[in-house]
Amino acid sequence: MSRDRYLFGGLILAFVALNGVLLGSGRLPVNWTGFGIIVAAGLTLLLYSFLYKDNPLFKFAEHIYVGTAAAYVFGQYWFGGLFGMVIEPVFMKEDIQAYDKWLLLIPTLLGALMLTRFSRRWAWVSRISFAFYVGVGAGLTIPRYISSFVLQQIEPTLRPLSLTMEGFDVLVILVGVVSVLVYFFFSVEHTGVVGGVSKVGIYFLMVAFGASFGYTIMARLSLLIGRVSFLLEEWLRIPLTL
Amino acid sequence: MIERLMNLDRRIIFLFVFAGVAVPLLMDFSFPIKPTDNVRAVYQQIEHVAAQKDGKVLISFSYGGGAAAELQPMARALLRHLFAREVEIVAISLWPDAVGLAQAALKGMADEAGRKYGTDYALMGFKPGNSVVILGMGQDFRGTFPTDNFGASTDTLAVTANVQSLADFDFVIDLAAGESIDHFWIPYGQERFKFPLAGGCTAVMAPDLFPFIQSGQLIGMIGGLAGAAEYETLIGHADKATSGMRPQSVTHIIIIAFIVLANVTFFLSRRRSANTTSHQDLA
Repeated sequence: MSRDRYLFGGLILAFVALNGVLLGSGRLPVNWTGFGIIVAAGLTLLLYSFLYKDNPLFKFAEHIYVGTAAAYVFGQYWFGGLFGMVIEPVFMKEDIQAYDKWLLLIPTLLGALMLTRFSRRWAWVSRISFAFYVGVGAGLTIPRYISSFVLQQIEPTLRPLSLTMEGFDVLVILVGVVSVLVYFFFSVEHTGVVGGVSKVGIYFLMVAFGASFGYTIMARLSLLIGRVSFLLEEWLRIPLTL
Repeated sequence: MIERLMNLDRRIIFLFVFAGVAVPLLMDFSFPIKPTDNVRAVYQQIEHVAAQKDGKVLISFSYGGGAAAELQPMARALLRHLFAREVEIVAISLWPDAVGLAQAALKGMADEAGRKYGTDYALMGFKPGNSVVILGMGQDFRGTFPTDNFGASTDTLAVTANVQSLADFDFVIDLAAGESIDHFWIPYGQERFKFPLAGGCTAVMAPDLFPFIQSGQLIGMIGGLAGAAEYETLIGHADKATSGMRPQSVTHIIIIAFIVLANVTFFLSRRRSANTTSHQDLA
């Protein structure tokens, strides 16, 4: 037996013994809540065991997570979508008018046609649904995105400059936007003035990437803090200071 | 020594990071938390809504368990503020796995403030479709959510009985772990139906949302656990986010120390290898 097997075997025994002590001493309740906390703590530790090295216990926890999440999401989609919006109003509710029921069948049919993709013979039928989906999607998206991401964003970039801190902010934004756009303009060789401006654009990009990476580290640490807080406070019942 | 540092086992860094998180959680000390303008704007908008008669706020829960460590403390702080100021709350979910988290946050904060389901707040549950759901709510809220999460008719709930569309809400907040703020709520909701919108997001997303604050499409933003801690400071109720700032700060110092150490070691090793090469050339 390898050293790692002894290590993981010992950790499992320690986990079982520790939970026995927690349950025996009454720190964890002997009910479904206590069982849920133990399962959550165990799965957390199994997933973090990957930091030591890849191992079967990590894989086990990973597969449980994927399966549980898929089932939960399916349940929500079923009750929120197909059941709640089609089956229940069409077949189970009597206070809905027949006209409204028939109306519901049109999108349901379009949705069902998409499933013909699984058949080589009938796959062409799904094009009707996809054509509708793409047409409506493009019609909705293009004007909204142009308005939100282009027109609304150009306006604050081109505000009048002034000798105040707000004016300085506008100047920095203006220089940043122009220099980064020049950096991504590949039709002209980046030499001379264009090269200089594009170099300024690189500095702006590096600052942006650095800020983004800093925020990412903060986010990942927050997740770790959440799990360690759970292990200490809810599983081991060690009170944390606020 | 330099060779050993250059080949440092990454698991040693993990141990330092773990200690940097666990030890400060158990110790009693604090760093100053100063609310930023973006977080303060959300707080002030809720105060503004609370000053109106029958102020109503829509909160969209768009995150799952993976982002709960950041966004659940934020949701709790916002709900605590809203319930304390007696603002009516309607919650929806654009993510299937957010329903349970929304329910837990709403019930916990409502019980704490003594608020009742149906009259003070309601949870409408999950609807698939993102942009379509937002457009649907903008045109016909009760048609989009005919029942709440528990099957009760939207018409029978006092908090939703008079809601016809998104325009009936005084403020909309999206708590998001994905792209729902910038890709769905801004283009299909705020831009089209013109209501005050704020975002609560994971720290990863925060840099992407700053341009929308500058353009006025978002009136404010709460970014990550730090933003949640700022909001807890504003409402004067320290909770999980505030306690999370101690390990956050300590671990940041540890990471900065490792970055400096790695760079110093790298330059020292490069200088040493350059010296070795020049000695060999002389020989």
